[in-house]
Amino acid sequence: MESTHKLGMQVCIETQKVSKIFGGLTAVNAVDLSVPEGAIASIIGPNGAGKTTLFNCISGYYKPEHGQIIFYGQQIQGEQTYSVASFGIARTYQNIRLFADMTAIENIIVGQYPRFTANWMDAIISTRREQNEEKIAIEEGRRLLKFVGLEGLGDHLARNLPYGAQRRLEIARALANKPRLLLLDEPTAGMNPQETDKMTHFIRSLRDELGITILLIEHDMRVVMDISDQITVLDYGTKIAEGKPREIQSNQKVIEAYLGPGGSSLTKKYQLRKKQRHAIIN
Amino acid sequence: MRTSPVRNGIQTGTIFGIIMVMMFLIGFTVIGAELIGKILGNPSISGMPDLIYFVIFMILVGVWCGVSAAKRPLYGPDSVKDAVLAGLSAGAICGLCAAVTGFIFGSVAANHIDVRAYLVSVSPESISMFTFNQNPTLGALALFGVMTLSSFLSALVAVEVRTSQKIRTMIENTSGSISETVHSQRISDLLNNKYARYGFYLIVAIALIILPRTWGGYWNYVFGTVGIYIILGLGLNIITGWAGQLVIGYVAFFAIGAYTFALLTAPVPHNLLWNFWIALALGIVVAGISGLLIGLPILNLRGDYLAIVTLGFSEIIRILLKSDLLTAFTGGPRGVHDVGGPTLFGSSFNTDVDFMYIIIIAVLVVSFLAYRLQNSHTGKAWVAINLDETVARATGINAFVSKLLALALSAAIAGLAGALFASRNQFTGPDDHQLMVAINVICLVIVGGIGNIPGIFLGAFALKGLPEILREIENYRMLVFGILLIVMMRLRPEGFLPAKRPVLEKFTADQRSSTDPASHPGNLETNTPPGKGK
Repeated sequence: MESTHKLGMQVCIETQKVSKIFGGLTAVNAVDLSVPEGAIASIIGPNGAGKTTLFNCISGYYKPEHGQIIFYGQQIQGEQTYSVASFGIARTYQNIRLFADMTAIENIIVGQYPRFTANWMDAIISTRREQNEEKIAIEEGRRLLKFVGLEGLGDHLARNLPYGAQRRLEIARALANKPRLLLLDEPTAGMNPQETDKMTHFIRSLRDELGITILLIEHDMRVVMDISDQITVLDYGTKIAEGKPREIQSNQKVIEAYLGPGGSSLTKKYQLRKKQRHAIIN
Repeated sequence: MRTSPVRNGIQTGTIFGIIMVMMFLIGFTVIGAELIGKILGNPSISGMPDLIYFVIFMILVGVWCGVSAAKRPLYGPDSVKDAVLAGLSAGAICGLCAAVTGFIFGSVAANHIDVRAYLVSVSPESISMFTFNQNPTLGALALFGVMTLSSFLSALVAVEVRTSQKIRTMIENTSGSISETVHSQRISDLLNNKYARYGFYLIVAIALIILPRTWGGYWNYVFGTVGIYIILGLGLNIITGWAGQLVIGYVAFFAIGAYTFALLTAPVPHNLLWNFWIALALGIVVAGISGLLIGLPILNLRGDYLAIVTLGFSEIIRILLKSDLLTAFTGGPRGVHDVGGPTLFGSSFNTDVDFMYIIIIAVLVVSFLAYRLQNSHTGKAWVAINLDETVARATGINAFVSKLLALALSAAIAGLAGALFASRNQFTGPDDHQLMVAINVICLVIVGGIGNIPGIFLGAFALKGLPEILREIENYRMLVFGILLIVMMRLRPEGFLPAKRPVLEKFTADQRSSTDPASHPGNLETNTPPGKGK
């Protein structure tokens, strides 16, 4: 199913000439990015390339100095983070950031926050609205726990869960608000190959089953090349390449960004040697 | 590696010796003896307690010293011998410290030098008691003997108790049967039984109705104070315990509530003489609004700005109330007298018993509000902000509005407490609103268990109830607070009764399994046992 997945015609998120400047440092420099609905798009680049900064601009932590961020036709740059969340953009973090002293299911319930309409007065007099929402929130929490494979662990404190479970709980919390766009910041960081495979499958199932557009930052090239419909490469805050996995693999600029100037000749030598070795073996 | 028992004993003994000398220097030996006298039903009327109580006090210290020396990690096969050796050496060192102190101060006192010029608490009487009313040499020897002997004997007993199989099985049996009773099906059924719970509530309600009528004015006063501090603690818990924003100058809102109420009901500065209930409501509202106004400019910032701003605010309020500038309006340093009491259907309702009822009702109402808020989405959002504000914002929580709401509610509850306080005392003045009140409230919330409603009750009883009952240690309150806070931070950083998170998934899963037996928890790839992934 994954290879035949049809991308929607509509553009989910688009950045137009987005720049973010910290003092004298231009962390993100006029980056154009366009992700169609239903795609899995990756942002890659060496350390300090501005990938997470771009994420932070999209999710509203930073207000970009220049440019526009457009989410389904609506400009969202400079909006407060909580309103960005309520538009339907959810994210996870490079270093897992759960509400560590809350239980797993509570984390998911808090994730549903923008959908709640009952206020504190409702809570005090325990109106029907409050009771209904509470019931729905718990049921939804249970459903999501099951979806990410954490059923039965919901009443454990988030801090006590194993590492992989915390990653998935973080995604469950992001899903709780029924987002249309999910930003994943290095979802397979610190995982062994088996866990990474599982996570890759899981990310693909998010798109296939829930129809969520996914934008992810990832360093594991195997994952990136495996699941991405589209890859954007950043280096020193500037977009240096964009395209399908196959195109990126052979892009000279990308190879230079990762391996330094002359890197392409290095890889040529490497490939030559590889061929020779194969020849010898065969 | 095997540490020598004597060295262990010397370590323990040194600590206890230093504690002993310190207690003597701050005059706590006398207080301790007095307390023991009081507990044994023989309070000293004229100054000094009987010598026998002091001896008991010293023996208790010695016993404690011996037990803790014998408790040090042991020691291979001759654990009894080693532990006794440790107890003996600990007692000897502790006794030596006491003896040297006793000898020095005894000799000084014998030469008619008054040490009080340098050490306020060391009176000639306390010195003579410290040396058992003997001459310095004999007293020092007696001190040494008492400490060594009591420590040695207690170590012996402690080791016997710990190693004796008979006693150990006895203890295990009793604790086993106790826990069995507590955890037995019958008890848990009883706890889950609706009617049993209603019965329990009924008993508590009857007790709360009858007790204020029977236990007299003194207890009504003590528990009235405790009640007001419970209200304050519950209020502070909203903003500090749940939303995680430290508020140091919480007393400012207490003062605003008290003064709003007092000025509206007292005859002197304005002669308004409003109805109690309307003034009470207005006190709550004005305090709440002041919280809102304080929060507006600063709650968008992160960090402890709120603590500093409220600290300044509370001092400004207190100084303004004291100043000549506002004397015409607030009564100045003399405060507001003849604050109105409660009325009910036109008749006066302000005996101490009636007031106790009002405070009990207020405590119940505020705890009910706190309980409902705790379990609501709003409460969860506060905790989320406390744990990680950045992520809370990214999950769609408007942190600014949430924190503002928390602060306003906290302030309003403080206003309620202030109004009740002013009305009960029929007076309010600037000195009622010292910063110490706020520090006390922070202490009781931390000691009781931050973020936990029953913990706050416990904290208020421990920190406001006990000092009222134990008047003797009044002077040592700050010392005890300090020790208590340090000990709490070391041993139970979450307080006596730490906050627990509600059980939500299991609750619903159980309900489901009764209707759908096919569903079973714990599947897929998470085979790691829960709680091991720390």
